[in-house]
Amino acid sequence: MTRHKLTARILIGVAVAMLGLGFASKPLYDTFCKVTGYGGTTKQAETNLSEILDRKVNIYFDSNVQVGLPWDFKPEQVKLTVNVGQSGLAYYKVKNTSDRAITGTATYNVTPTKAAPFFIKTECFCFTEQRIEPGQEISFPVLFHVDSQIDEDKRLKDVRDITLSYTFFDIDDEKNAKPSVQLSGVKESLN
Amino acid sequence: MAVIGADDTGYGHDDKPGFFARWFYSTNHKDIGTLYLIFAIFSGIVGGYLSFMMRLELGEPGVQIFEDLHTYNVFVSMHGLIMIFFMVMPAVIGGFGNWFVPIMIGAPDMAFPRMNNLSFWLLPVALICLLISFFVPGSASGNGFGGGWVMYPPLSTTGSPGPSFDFIIIGLLAAGFSSIFGAINFITTILNMRAPGMTIHKMPLFAWSVLVTAALLLLALPVLAAALFMLLTDRIEGGTGFFDPARGGDPEMFQHLFWFFGHPEVYIMILPAFGIVSHVVSTFSKKPIFGYLGMAYAMVAIGVVGFVVWAHHMYTVGMDVNLKAYFLAATLVIAVPTGVKIFSWLATMWGGSIRFTIPMMWAIAFIFLFVIGGVTGVVLANAGIDVALHDTYYVVAHFHYVLSMGAVFGIFCGFTYWFGKMFGVQYNKWLAGAHFWTFFIGVNLIFFPQHFLGMQGMPRRYVDYPEEFAYFNSISTMGAYLTLASVVLFFVWLAEALIVRRKVEDNYWGEGANTLEWTLSSPPPYHQFNQLPVIKDDDGH
Repeated sequence: MTRHKLTARILIGVAVAMLGLGFASKPLYDTFCKVTGYGGTTKQAETNLSEILDRKVNIYFDSNVQVGLPWDFKPEQVKLTVNVGQSGLAYYKVKNTSDRAITGTATYNVTPTKAAPFFIKTECFCFTEQRIEPGQEISFPVLFHVDSQIDEDKRLKDVRDITLSYTFFDIDDEKNAKPSVQLSGVKESLN
Repeated sequence: MAVIGADDTGYGHDDKPGFFARWFYSTNHKDIGTLYLIFAIFSGIVGGYLSFMMRLELGEPGVQIFEDLHTYNVFVSMHGLIMIFFMVMPAVIGGFGNWFVPIMIGAPDMAFPRMNNLSFWLLPVALICLLISFFVPGSASGNGFGGGWVMYPPLSTTGSPGPSFDFIIIGLLAAGFSSIFGAINFITTILNMRAPGMTIHKMPLFAWSVLVTAALLLLALPVLAAALFMLLTDRIEGGTGFFDPARGGDPEMFQHLFWFFGHPEVYIMILPAFGIVSHVVSTFSKKPIFGYLGMAYAMVAIGVVGFVVWAHHMYTVGMDVNLKAYFLAATLVIAVPTGVKIFSWLATMWGGSIRFTIPMMWAIAFIFLFVIGGVTGVVLANAGIDVALHDTYYVVAHFHYVLSMGAVFGIFCGFTYWFGKMFGVQYNKWLAGAHFWTFFIGVNLIFFPQHFLGMQGMPRRYVDYPEEFAYFNSISTMGAYLTLASVVLFFVWLAEALIVRRKVEDNYWGEGANTLEWTLSSPPPYHQFNQLPVIKDDDGH
């Protein structure tokens, strides 16, 4: 019978390992997205070290809020044209239209998703949570650049336009209120 | 420890324990197999009722039956879950696997008989949880969970805050652990308990198919369990946010986890049917199966490749085009080992002395219909086409051709092939033939027109549709009536056979049926192989 037990133990080990891998998929998935830019995950950097090239890229700006979040969230410019490697500065305006202070956090991505590994943000309101008082209006800067390495990748030769998209979520609501019945929590421009 | 002789236990001879002990404390693989089959038939009635109501509703445009529209979505979701986890899997793995894997490899029983009992009895508990979910609040729209068998968040988290979906999670976890225990049991049995002389390359193909299936279960189901646990903690107020973008999660990750389980799951359902059909085709062609090793390793290849194609279910999530190209190519690769199997069955029949018995008709129909389902699968594997066909009735037609006609025809094939062996009596072949033909015509009538509906753009999971889709839907619903009649015929032949009790001999199929179950009486003794069979070098498969 020891042979049975040995086989069974190995098989239980396999099952437990797969269960662990299932849970480990969360950090693995996050790492994978950061490294590969999968799903349009952009990069972060302290400063812009890229050389400036002659190639021009149009950056379009998009904004969304979670259904039910009483914030007016709009980019202050529709598009910016920058040289590859040149830092661009864009502003987003957020107004809390409700009568209570709300803390929100923004998720972001870029399309085309293949451009994501080369889209680098040095300053962004999306790096931290944002608390906005009732009726308050804030203008948030986004400092970014497109890395010059984009020019070395043949797959990205056709990239002339990049759309940067944000979606604000209410994190107070998630923590305190009971899950509200809503058809979809996300009104996001799925890339 | 006292020495217990074979006679002292009361199990040495063929004397069976009393009714309650025999069926409720059962550790005998044949009894547990029978329990699984009864359970699968019961679940099949429940799942079939749900689908029949859906077909009645879709018979004509407008809302006929489901005045509470949410209930329609509940029926769609539960039909999928019940048919997959509680009908097909218990029938092919628990039922036929328990009955015939130990016998075919010359083992007295499963490696862990009590764990076998646990595996079975977790299932009724799981099914009860799923049935309770119908009657408790799901979302604001009403009772029950209507988020589809795929259970994508946020519809399964913030979209269904009621306790209904929690019952489904608990039920599926129970069913999942039942299958994991079963898989451990099967692999241990097959690896360690083969009769002397039966090398792994002499093992019957059904045992091979269950071995591969059990390996898939062991690798895929824990991932589903992890995903379900994450859904459960996401659903708790102030809980985790694995799939919630507001808290750094990603709903798309659930789809990856789900389909990492979900795609191997479709092979879990179809591989045992492959094994059954191989034996039936070989028996009634009076030839050994063509390309035995190729057949065995084709199943292994399908199992391995099945783990690296999952995202072809998610082409529309906004994947990178290179990723789509990879999943497209990997998916098409599966057509190769599947083709090996189809051609080997045809080559087995080629030049054989074919008898068109009832199980052989199910087997040939299986091959024919599975090819149709496989071909539409090749169409859907193409990411460009899939964007148009995603979540249309074309997909519904595709997976019902491989499951409702593939796996289910495999089940009926095995049931009619082994019925006499399991119960010692034979059915009336005219009644069983009537069942076959009505079922064959009925299900084709249901699902073939759905290809056209899908091509016309009719989306799945809707209670109503525009007038333009009425014609093919009405044909499809007529097919459902015929299939219902066919199911009645199934119970008629089953009852007739069990009442009239025409006794059968040991090997009632005669020459061609040469696996070990045919060396035993029909039904086999309560404990078989007091002397282990010895497989000689020149024995065929």
